[in-house]
Amino acid sequence: MGNRYLIVGGSAAGMAAAHTIRKADETGEVTVLSNESHAPYFRPMIPYIITGKKSASQIILNGSGVFTADTINILTGSKVTSVDPAGKRVTTGAGDIFDYDRILFSSGSRPYMPEDIENLGVDGVFALKTLADAEAMAARSETTEHAVLLGGGILNLKAAFALLEKNIKVTLVVYSPEVLSQLMDPEDAYLVRKALDEAGLVIKTGCSARAVISDDTGVCAVALDNGEEIPCQMICVGKGVIPNLDYLDGTDIRIDKGIVADPFTACSKGDTFAAGDVAVTHDPATGDKTVTALWTHAVEMGICAGLNMTGKKTAYAGTMGIMNATQVADEPFVAMGVVHTRDKDLEVHTDRTDHYFRKMVFSPDGSRLVGAVFVGDITRAGLYRYVIREKMEVERFKNHLVNHTLHYGHFL
Amino acid sequence: MSHLKEIFARTDMCTGCQSCRLACAVAHSDSKNLFAAIHETPRAKSRVYVEWLDDQIKVPVLCRHCEDAPCINACIAGAITRSDDNTVITNDDKCIGCWTCVMVCPYGVIGRDKSVRKAYRCDRCPDLEIPACVSACPTEALIYQEVDQYSKSVRKNVARELVTKEGG
Ligand SMILES: Cc1cc2nc3c(=O)[nH]c(=O)nc-3n(C[C@H](O)[C@H](O)[C@H](O)COP(=O)(O)OP(=O)(O)OC[C@H]3O[C@@H](n4cnc5c(N)ncnc54)[C@H](O)[C@@H]3O)c2cc1C
Repeated sequence: MGNRYLIVGGSAAGMAAAHTIRKADETGEVTVLSNESHAPYFRPMIPYIITGKKSASQIILNGSGVFTADTINILTGSKVTSVDPAGKRVTTGAGDIFDYDRILFSSGSRPYMPEDIENLGVDGVFALKTLADAEAMAARSETTEHAVLLGGGILNLKAAFALLEKNIKVTLVVYSPEVLSQLMDPEDAYLVRKALDEAGLVIKTGCSARAVISDDTGVCAVALDNGEEIPCQMICVGKGVIPNLDYLDGTDIRIDKGIVADPFTACSKGDTFAAGDVAVTHDPATGDKTVTALWTHAVEMGICAGLNMTGKKTAYAGTMGIMNATQVADEPFVAMGVVHTRDKDLEVHTDRTDHYFRKMVFSPDGSRLVGAVFVGDITRAGLYRYVIREKMEVERFKNHLVNHTLHYGHFL
Repeated sequence: MSHLKEIFARTDMCTGCQSCRLACAVAHSDSKNLFAAIHETPRAKSRVYVEWLDDQIKVPVLCRHCEDAPCINACIAGAITRSDDNTVITNDDKCIGCWTCVMVCPYGVIGRDKSVRKAYRCDRCPDLEIPACVSACPTEALIYQEVDQYSKSVRKNVARELVTKEGG
């Protein structure tokens, strides 16, 4: 009999690993346990389910990108409730038992729901994470005139644009002084903010929700900490994510804000591996331990874990904690590496115009690029990522970094 | 899959004449004709770039269709796949213009078509025997060859394979 590979969670990391294992070990038996009801899909595409621009079948993983292997046994609706790493056995909520030779923990993350907001459990309060959430939001949006989104991060901006497209009034309540505070300093977000204002988003900064007010239709208003009460029929919480670790309670798998993985994606017990949002990895830009919430990272680490599980020892190069690209309204932006520079000992070059914003962040001695923010013009951003990630000595082409004229020829 | 052909660029032969860019744009226009292509909206775009290092050295750059392509791993929409002939392809129907591929491409060769909000790159001209840029190059700075024919040393000199250094 071939090796039995068991994978907890069937999303970016788990499925990338599953497809990698399938291609590397043809006789192995690959089983994915997923507690979602839908077959694996491209999670970042779920805002298109809210708008109706895509159907569930148009965003499935199988057959696209790196997800092209056959015969992976995916068991949806299977929630792993406990793991016995010594006996190499897991148990699901339904009482099913699975024995394995090697296991991958790729259970990802879930939205953080702040405990200090009262009454979050009522109908019409969402956090956008799963396809099921998106379908429920789409249904609720039929009777929603006004939606209030708590948190000004990138997920809520995506949710906001999906709802605006459906002609729903959207108010963003942001505790920080500006939107996207995780990805850029407040004064650097001015072009994004302008684009959001022009798109019709109402943004309230410096305040947060205190309580959800409900009637028999579910949410009907939200009370803010500044005394204001905003009538609304939908709330979406976007306050970051936390790793899904409960099923490892009582095991001796090392946990430190996430599952600790060594440079070869292995956990602290034999034949256990971790990848994706649930794993702690390192940031090549800063050297710090980091837990990310990035699709790109989850896929790359999943591939790496898959190789390691089949015995092909492969080091994971780590990932920058911040590495985001997207477009809000007509404004594309990229933020990567060290982006917060206020009061920090770093060499910072900014270029601030009405059409684009650019910030290049260098080490204190100016010899290495450690971060970059591009808004409006993101041309060749990948070259800059490469310079950061490889910790290149930049002296030869520094002026091209600062002036955004770097090209591949400079690497030769 | 080393019997499959790739486009190789030879920096030492490039004069910076831009013929490849013109030919590429025309080959990817609706009309496939230079004079008509100029008037098309959106304007036909070249997927090959000629970078000037200094007056002496010009560097033609285009998608390397990397073996371990970071763009395929990164695409959040499942729009990028590798075809049977090893070409990395962006599927227009699936691309949502999130530009994640632009952020991860270490060669800087993925363009953004702002009017339709889609990413574009070299597709090795699937309908042509020889890619348009290669046919157009007067100095054989661009050549279309099988990998093993093309000596390793030359290849190294031309394009350091950045992606082998990537994780995963
Ligand atoms: C709307 C949205 C937009 C996004 N946009 C981007 C973007 O543009 N770029 C980007 O890089 N990232 C984006 N992300 C983040 C990205 O989707 C995540 O980082 C990525 O999905 C992480 O993959 P993962 O496999 O580690 O975990 P997850 O995708 O979190 O999947 C984990 C899976 O495991 C399952 N699971 C958990 N516990 C158990 C258990 N005990 N038993 C069985 N199954 C279990 C979960 O239900 C889930 O299906 C976005 C996310 C969302 C929600």
